Amino acid sequence: MPDHRFTPLRGQRGAASGAIPSGVAEPVQPRRSPRRQRLFTPALLIGILITCGLLVLSLTTGQYEVFSEDGFWMFGITRVPRTIALVLAGASMAMCGLIMQLLTQNRFVEPTTTGTTEWAGLGLILVLWLFPGASMLARMGGAVTMAFIGTIIFFLFLQRVTLKSSLIVPIIGIMLGAVVSSFTTYIALMTDHLQTLGIWFAGSFTGVVEGRYELMWLVLVVTVLVFITADQFTVAGLGRDMATNVGLNYTAVLFMGTAMVAVATGVTATVVGVLPFLGLIVPNVVSLFRGDDLRSNLPWVCLVGIATVTVCDLIGRTIRAPFEIPVGLVLGVVGAVVFVGLLLRQRRRGGLVT
Amino acid sequence: MPIREFAPQNSSTLRSRSLSALSVSAIAVLALTACAGDDAEADATEAEQASSETEAETTSESAEEGEGAEAEGTEEEDAESGTVTVEDDHGTHEVSTDPQSVIVTDNRSYRTLEEFGVQPSAAPLALMDPETHAYAEDDSILDLGMHREPNLENVVAAEPDLIINGQRFQQYYQDISELAPDATILEFEPQEDADLIEELIRKTESLGEVFSEDEAAAGLVEELETEMARVQEAYDGESTVMGLLTSGGDISYVAPGPNGRAIGPVFDTFDLEPALEQEGEDESHGDDISVEAIATANPDWLLVMDRDARISQEEEGYSPAAEIVEESEALKNVTAVEEGNIVYLPENFYLTEDIQAYTEFFSDFADALEAAE
Repeated sequence: MPDHRFTPLRGQRGAASGAIPSGVAEPVQPRRSPRRQRLFTPALLIGILITCGLLVLSLTTGQYEVFSEDGFWMFGITRVPRTIALVLAGASMAMCGLIMQLLTQNRFVEPTTTGTTEWAGLGLILVLWLFPGASMLARMGGAVTMAFIGTIIFFLFLQRVTLKSSLIVPIIGIMLGAVVSSFTTYIALMTDHLQTLGIWFAGSFTGVVEGRYELMWLVLVVTVLVFITADQFTVAGLGRDMATNVGLNYTAVLFMGTAMVAVATGVTATVVGVLPFLGLIVPNVVSLFRGDDLRSNLPWVCLVGIATVTVCDLIGRTIRAPFEIPVGLVLGVVGAVVFVGLLLRQRRRGGLVT
Repeated sequence: MPIREFAPQNSSTLRSRSLSALSVSAIAVLALTACAGDDAEADATEAEQASSETEAETTSESAEEGEGAEAEGTEEEDAESGTVTVEDDHGTHEVSTDPQSVIVTDNRSYRTLEEFGVQPSAAPLALMDPETHAYAEDDSILDLGMHREPNLENVVAAEPDLIINGQRFQQYYQDISELAPDATILEFEPQEDADLIEELIRKTESLGEVFSEDEAAAGLVEELETEMARVQEAYDGESTVMGLLTSGGDISYVAPGPNGRAIGPVFDTFDLEPALEQEGEDESHGDDISVEAIATANPDWLLVMDRDARISQEEEGYSPAAEIVEESEALKNVTAVEEGNIVYLPENFYLTEDIQAYTEFFSDFADALEAAE
């Protein structure tokens, strides 16, 4: 499978994109030849600079006087972990959205609209119910396992659905997610964990300090893996038949993508919580401006993901200082607005439901 | 709204987020209006609190005294007819001293009634902790379910003539009164701007009146007052105190004053010096706060309510709150942590919040204060 992944793809790309099933929202920008498109354009460098600026801002924003006597010590145990978590969560959740959008050939799919986060929540609650006082690692294991199972179920379900319009796919995901979350709610209700569950899912970086964020490094593995295997996801994004035609082991790629999404979602759900809309808006905004080439878009998706989460977290922790607002809340508001904007824009171009 | 909130007083559910994602345009409207509403409301209450705070301080004491006196005045026992006149939050009621079927829905009353030997016919058993409340595993009591999903049919089935309603079931007052039109419903909930402890005493004494257990009630009140006096005695009036609430690994800040859940009112009771002068906004679950802000405020004392303590009990000696607060690297230089000046509320506090729980809490607080001297 990996032997002949590049050559046939690059050659057929222009023709292949025309063969995307009509359910997929068409790329907004005309495609340039990806081969000559350089990764490190000046625009990307500016993007990196802006993101770094935001991260520095994140490092200097907080309640404790960093330049005081033991300020640097506090800096090391709260600001740095928090910023690292922002980077990892932002990048990985945005990329999860991208992977899922390619695998389902649908623009409106991301872990929160495929039920993956709901399954992760079920995993968390199951671990807490069966093994009270389980370690963070055990909870995370439960979340990742259930997220994986759930996403596989979603894909299996999807394969039996013939009508794959751009709205049907997320509706199936949301439906499955609702069923799962009602199970989760029931278990939580019966075991008095309802509020704990609510706090987990609020998506907040407030508690991310040294000793409570280290698991986030696992997400880095996923991020790197996505970079390595980006081409295969692009091919898979052409659809099962097309991908198999050009010599891709579609099932293996599907499996791999699902595993990556499950790990990233499960870990993020355990450490931070749910980051709604992130996986949805970031890849969409990026392809609005840059078209659909995964390889050159990936750094952008990462950057925009990081920047979005960082901005939302900065808003969340300054707007009511010394208190904080969960990043999920800010992200929800911002995300909803962008999402509606995207829909309206697509409608103006006459391309939403085909 | 894309946020899942499982707070008992807030009613969004798991599904609402997913569903709202369906109606895309609705999300934006919902999210925006909800947030705008929240903010406006918050601003309003903040202003209100600020203006009423000083007022409350000066008037609450005299008001309570007046209220107490009034209540005593109306509670005249009528031995011949077997009824007492009791004043509750909704007015005065003639209550039979020998009720045949009593429904209790008020968390803060279970243990008091247990002590009085009252056998309820129906109660929200799901909200009870079997290790604290003997009612919880009593099969003869009809279950009213949880406040989020009550089984009010059992109100009818129990054919009550007296209902002690309150706290989480306050929201069903109207429903219950319609389902049991012949029953007397009593509610003794802490009134706005009133001292929570005074209100607990009022409730205990009123219940004592209803069930002819004045002596037992007086005993409970006396125990509470003894512990209160100990705290008053041991507190130096200067040490700064901060209230925290931990749940699901997160720390929230409990605002001093009537708005702070459980711990807030205690600040007024003992004139505790708050480590952080900041109006809180979330009355029941505290405001999200970072360890940095706690470290900056550097309180001398921490009063911690651990919401997960009761549920995590199966693990021997496992205390989620202690893990979060004491083992936090960022908090190790905070005076309260350094000197071990941390008082955890009784582990069942979240389910009880009754006069017994406060007595226990004050006793622990007094012990800690005395030991620190």
